[in-house]
Amino acid sequence: MNGAGRNNSLARAMLGTISVGSVLIAWWLATSLELVKPLILPPPADVWVGFLDIWHGYLNVPFWNHFLASISVMLGGYAMAIAIGVPLGIFMAWNRAVDWVVGPLLQILRPIPPPAWIPLAILWFGIGYAGKIFIVFIAAAVPCILNSYLAIKQTPPELLSSARSLGAKPHTLLFEVAIPSGLPTIMTGLRIALGIAWASIVAAELVVSLAGFGFLIMNGYRNLESNIVFVGMAAVALLGLLMNLVFLRIERALLPWREDQDNG
Amino acid sequence: MQNDLSYENVTMRFEGRSGAVQALERFDFQVSSSEFLVIVGPSGCGKSTLLHLTAGLYKPPTGRILLGGSEIREPGPDKAIVFQNFSLFPWKTVHDNIEFGLRINGIPAAEREEQIKRVIRLIGLDGFENHYPRQLSGGMQQRVAIARSFVLKPRTLLMDEPFAALDAQNRQIMQEELVRIWQTQRPTVLFITHSVEEAVFLADRVIVMTRRPGRVKEVIDITQITGENHWRSDPFDEVIRRAEFQDVRSRIWGLVKSEISVRN
Ligand SMILES: Nc1ncnc2c1ncn2[C@@H]1O[C@H](COP(=O)(O)OP(=O)(O)O)[C@@H](O)[C@H]1O
Ligand SMILES: [Mg+2]
Repeated sequence: MNGAGRNNSLARAMLGTISVGSVLIAWWLATSLELVKPLILPPPADVWVGFLDIWHGYLNVPFWNHFLASISVMLGGYAMAIAIGVPLGIFMAWNRAVDWVVGPLLQILRPIPPPAWIPLAILWFGIGYAGKIFIVFIAAAVPCILNSYLAIKQTPPELLSSARSLGAKPHTLLFEVAIPSGLPTIMTGLRIALGIAWASIVAAELVVSLAGFGFLIMNGYRNLESNIVFVGMAAVALLGLLMNLVFLRIERALLPWREDQDNG
Repeated sequence: MQNDLSYENVTMRFEGRSGAVQALERFDFQVSSSEFLVIVGPSGCGKSTLLHLTAGLYKPPTGRILLGGSEIREPGPDKAIVFQNFSLFPWKTVHDNIEFGLRINGIPAAEREEQIKRVIRLIGLDGFENHYPRQLSGGMQQRVAIARSFVLKPRTLLMDEPFAALDAQNRQIMQEELVRIWQTQRPTVLFITHSVEEAVFLADRVIVMTRRPGRVKEVIDITQITGENHWRSDPFDEVIRRAEFQDVRSRIWGLVKSEISVRN
C-alpha cells in the first residue's frame, strides 16, 4: 500500500513535470525558430525583460503597488462575503422562514455572472475601491452561502438525535453539532470563494483601475506589449496557486479530526 | 427511583410521499424497572420507531409512554439512546465526546473530569482520551458511545442494534462488556437486535414483534429458564452450547421466521 502510494506520487510528479516542461519547450522553440510573431507569442527572454520592467516599476508604478491594490480589494470583498454569506447560509438552512424569505431572491440573483455586475457597481459605487470590493463580494458570497447552507442541511440526523437525547437544546444543536459537523463543507466553500474572489478582482481591474494585475494586463494589451500581458497573467496564476496552498494548510490545521488518518 | 416503562396503546404513523405508513399499532407493554428487555422482529416492523418514541424524539399521535409513571414528552439525558453506527461527534476526542452531555447539563468542571475518568476506566479505554473517533476500532467507538450515555446515569438505556456493525469476535466481547457495565447501574434497557442468539444471551425477556404495523407477537421470559443465575454472566461461547439455550433460541427463531415468511 505504502510502496504503491509512493510509486503513484512519483509517477504523478514525473508526468506533471513532463507536461509543463514540454509546453515551455514548445513555447521556446516556437519563438526562437520565429514560427510566430512576438506580438502573438513573446519569446521567454522578452517576458523576463517584461518581468524586470514591472518589478522595477512599469510606467512608474512600483510592483508592490499592483500587488497591494489587487490583494487589498480582494481580501476586503472576500472578508465581507464570508462575514455575510456564511451566517446567511447557516440561518437559511436552520430556519425555514429565513429560507423562504431569502431563497427566492438568491435564486434570481445567482445566474447573473459576476462581471455583469461591473457596470452597475461603477454606477453605484464609482471607480474606486468600493465598486471593486462590491464585485468581489457578489462573486465570493455565492459559494459561501451555498456551502454553508448545504453543510447544515447535511448534518447526520442521528448526530442531532444523539445530541437531543443527551440533553441538547436548539441553540446547542446549531452551535455545537450542526456547525462543527458542517465545518469541512463550509471550509470547502470558503476555498472555492477565494479562487472566485481572485478571478473577479482581476476581471474588475481589466475594466476599470489605475493599479493592480488586471490593470497591468490591460495596459500591456493597449501598448501592444504582449510580454507585459504574459507577466501579469503569470503573476495572477502564481498568486492564485499560492493562496490556495496557504488555505489548504489552514484548513488542515483547523480540522485535525479529519486529516489524522493514522491508527495511533 | 422507579424506572419502569409502560406503553399504553401506542400508535405511530408516518406521512410519506407515497402514502402513510403505519409503523406501530396499539402497542401495549410493561417493562419493569432495571429489566433487560430485548426486541426482535422482521425488518421494518417498527422497532427503531419504538425506541425513538421511548427516547422522546417523536410524539405518538395516540397512546402514551410512561417512564416511572410520568409521560415521556421530550428527549433528555434520563433516556439515553445508542445507535448502530455509534454517532459519536467526529470532531471531538473521546474525552470531549463523553464530556458533552455532562457539560450541557450543567455539571461543574471538576466533577465532570472525575466522572469521565471513572467511565473511561469502566469501558477500558484509559490512554485513549485524546483520540478522535476515526482513530478507534468499531468496538472501541461503540464503547465510547455507551460511556457517553452511561455517564449521565440514565434511567433507561435504549440501544438500536448497537453491535450490528461489529465483527463476530468484537460483538461477543461487547455483549459481555455491556452486561458488566449495565450491572454497575442497572438502568432499564431496551435492546434491539437481529441476532436471536444475542437476544437470548442478554435478555431478561425477549419480545418478538409482528411484521408492520408492529405489535407484540410473543414474550419469552428467559429468566424463567435460567433462574436466579442468569447465563449472561457466563462466557458467551460456553453458554450457546447449552441445550436450554439452543431450545429457546430455535423457538424464537421460528417465531421471527413465521413473521418474515407470511409476507410472501
Ligand atoms: N422518519 C420516517 N419517515 C417515514 N417513514 C418512516 C420513518 N421512520 C420509519 N419509517 C417507516 O416505518 C416503518 C418502521 O420503521 P422502523 O421502526 O425503522 O423499523 P425497524 O427498526 O423495525 O426495521 C418502516 O416501514 C419505515 O419505512
Ligand atoms: Mg431499525
